[in-house]
This record gives sequence, C-alpha cells and structure tokens, in this order.
Amino acid sequence: MLLKRTTWRTGFILLIGMMCLVNWHKAIAQEHEQRSGISNSWLVMQAVPGVSWTCFPPQTHFSLEWEATPVLYSWGMTKLDPPLHFFFVSQPERFAGSVEFNISTQFYTSPVGASHWGFSGQLLAHLPLVEHGEYVGLNLGVARYNIAGMSSNYIVGGFSTLFGFLHYNIKYSPADEIWMHSIEFRFF
Amino acid sequence: MNHKNHFLRFILFSLIIFHCSLIITGCSSFFTRFITNSFKNLPSAPDTVATKIAHPIFRNVGLSVLWVGHATCLIQIGDKIFLTDPIFTKTAGMISKRRIEPGILPSSIDKLDYILISHIHFDHLSYGSLSMLPKSAVILMPIGSAEYMPEFGFSDYREMNPWTTFEADGVRITAVPVKHFNGRYGFDGSWLNYNTYTGYIIEYKGKTVFFAGDTGYDPEKFKEIGRKFAIDVALIPIAPIEPHDFMKRVHADPEEALQIFTDVHAKIMIPIHHRTFVQGLDSSLTFAQDQLKRLVTERKIEDRVLSLKVGEQRVLVP
Repeated sequence: MLLKRTTWRTGFILLIGMMCLVNWHKAIAQEHEQRSGISNSWLVMQAVPGVSWTCFPPQTHFSLEWEATPVLYSWGMTKLDPPLHFFFVSQPERFAGSVEFNISTQFYTSPVGASHWGFSGQLLAHLPLVEHGEYVGLNLGVARYNIAGMSSNYIVGGFSTLFGFLHYNIKYSPADEIWMHSIEFRFF
Repeated sequence: MNHKNHFLRFILFSLIIFHCSLIITGCSSFFTRFITNSFKNLPSAPDTVATKIAHPIFRNVGLSVLWVGHATCLIQIGDKIFLTDPIFTKTAGMISKRRIEPGILPSSIDKLDYILISHIHFDHLSYGSLSMLPKSAVILMPIGSAEYMPEFGFSDYREMNPWTTFEADGVRITAVPVKHFNGRYGFDGSWLNYNTYTGYIIEYKGKTVFFAGDTGYDPEKFKEIGRKFAIDVALIPIAPIEPHDFMKRVHADPEEALQIFTDVHAKIMIPIHHRTFVQGLDSSLTFAQDQLKRLVTERKIEDRVLSLKVGEQRVLVP
C-alpha cells in the first residue's frame, strides 16, 4: 500500500516537473522563433510507450517503457541545424547520425522482486544505413538499468526503420545474463 | 511455456501500441492507404519513358523547361540550371510507388546550379534523389526545413522566409507564399511549429519563372505575386483532386490551377504534380490531366497551357 502511494506521488512529481520543463523550454523556444520546441503536444507524444520483453532467467517480464532524450548530439545534418538538441529531436537529427543520452522508466506488468517499476539511462549512437537512416539505421550503445533496486549494465544493439519511428533493440547484461528485447516508438 | 506466453504478449502489445501511435500521429489513414493502394502496386513496373534526353543541358539557351515528372522540372535560363523538387526514386518515402519512370536519368544532369525545395513532404524532399545529383548546387528550402535536411555535401543550403530573396551571380530567387500543409512524418516538429512550404520566383537575364511547388488556391497570395512579378512561365500543380472537399484546402484542381495562372498574369503555364504517383483518390493517373485538357480546349488557350509529357523538353525562348 505504502509502495503504491509512493509510486503515485513520484509519478505526480515527475509530471509536474515535466510541465515546468515544458514551459521553461517554451520560453527559450520563443527567443529562437524558427526552431521547433517542446510543447504540450510534444508532451502527449512522449506518453506513447514502447514495449519491452525482458528475460530474467528463468522468468520473463513484459513492460511498457517511456523515454525522453535530455541531450542528443547530431553530426548528420547541415550547418543550418545546430548539433545539440535538448528533449526536442526531429527524426532526421537522430537517424542521420547522432549520439544521445536518453532516460526511460519501465512499468512491468508482473512484479520484478517487490516492484513493478524500473529506471534506466542509455548512451546510444545512431548510424545511418539506408537513405541517410530514414529507411534503416543501426543503433549501438550501452545502458544501465535499475529494476527493483538491482542495477545492471547492458550492451545495446539494434536497428531503426520506418523513418526513425520504430526501433528494435536487443540489450544484454553479461554480468547478470539478462536479455531484453524492446520495441520502441520514438517521437522526438 | 512462460517464455512463449510472454513473447506472444510482447508481439500483441507491440502491434496494439504501434497502431495506436499511428492513429495519434494521424498516420493511420496513410498506413491504410499504404496497405491498400501502394502494396498492390509494388510488383508492377512503372511505365517507361520511350526516349529519354541524354544531354538535357544546353550550352546556352534563353529559357527551357524539361518536365522530369511530378513536381520535378529542369529549368535552364541562359547558363544557369535549376531543378525543382527532385524525385528520381522508385517510391516516395518508402510508401507511394512511382507509376512512370523519371523523364531523364539523374546522371544526365552534369551541371546544376540551384535546387529548389518547395516543402518537406516525401514527394518533394527525397533524400535518395538528392544523393544522385551533382553537389555543385545550392539548395534553397523554406524556413524550418533544416531540421529535415541531412548533409548531402552540396555547396550551400539556405532557408527562405516568404518574400525574401536570394541573390548570386545575377540570379534572383524569391520565396513566395503558397497554400499547403506542414509536416513530413505526420505529427512532427514541422507540423507543430511553423509553415514549411513555399513557392519560388526565379529571375535571371530578364526571364521570370514561377514554381508554385504544391499548393491550394488562395486568390490574395497569387494576385499579390502577379502584381509584383512579370512572369513568363508558371509551373502550377493540378492534382490530386479527390476527395475534393478535403484536397481543395491544400491542392489546386485544374480549374483552380488555371485561376492561379490568370491571377499571376503568366504568359505560359506548364502543369505539374500529376501522372507520376498515385495521389489521393483520383480514379486514374491522367484524371487531372484529362480535366485540364477539357478546360483548356473550352477556353481556347491551348497555345498558352503547355501540357508536357514526362521527359519532354520545351525551349520557350531560344
């Protein structure tokens, strides 16, 4: 019961934090009129979850995953587009060649230990393969997951397709022998 | 068993969430059209262009236009070469199948000075096509497009606000307002933030060409263009038409295209943006072309409206 209340409180604080962030970013975006910026619509799109299938031998867990990109460095765009992006990332800025730090939270439909929740940070490079990455791109990186109080490091590899919206990544923790398959929907 | 059940749930949830996200982003109808229209066309080969001009660039010419297909036109004024919204690929954005070959091979364009991008939709900003073109060109595009333009190695890239002019080496290219809609991937930054579409006026050596890109009809905008420029040739889109109530907000039909031609006071009109891809719910690839032909005959303006075949080049001023 206490855990449930704490989770809701954490969620509420996170939501308020995100709203503040949106308004702060909007104020910055107004100063740079021509650049895309975070908006309430952006916030709605961030609510679309990815899905993951995590294999903790001998058990498997299904989860929903919400991602945000605090910072992305893009090297595949023209000089007109600044290389650093914070939270708001257009698809080509990611798939045409970039490295990003993203954070995510996962909700496991069946409990892992005593909790349904997991948190992670990822350092992920996107390398364009076909049509500057718009059709197919390669994802490579590392991740750290904290699930039910247990932290593990992962190697990440996968690909993106469908204009950078659809990502399939495999994550493997050599130390804990945990496999994770995830389908992620990236909007911004 | 546990693994199998979870894997099935994983696949099922993925599909549900994927489809929900398509609905949220407005891509659902697009996706359905992809399944129904484009999928059935995938095995079919595009119509061939009987004779492709191998050397479309003149040493020097007053004014010539070659219709490559869709909104792609190779324009030459004097010694300068302009290419509009180049698309040479087999599909527009992986989804819409090309129904007729490009009128020329991209390799036959051995000199190129300017590429004009009217907006960032797949059939107008084609990454695969830009990769095929000479990198000596300068790319001009509407404001806000830079977020959607990967680096291809072209000599320069410029974003243009409406009514701003790019000038170099005697060439003046002015971005002019048109009426269309934003976005490249459905619900994206362009959709959310600003108007990333434009038309262009090209002026060089006393000749003026209006490239309307992709536009609906807006009398105020086009009359203003007509007041400001003495246009020799107007490249105006005529399709898609159906469903008419939906399309007319963002696409001119042949009747409206002729009205644009009248409003901008151009001497010659060349219809574009038809015949090349399956567009909207038009009943055939020549649906718009046939309507235009009938209207032009009724109004007896056959000498002023030049319906080029894909791959046809016309020297308008020797």
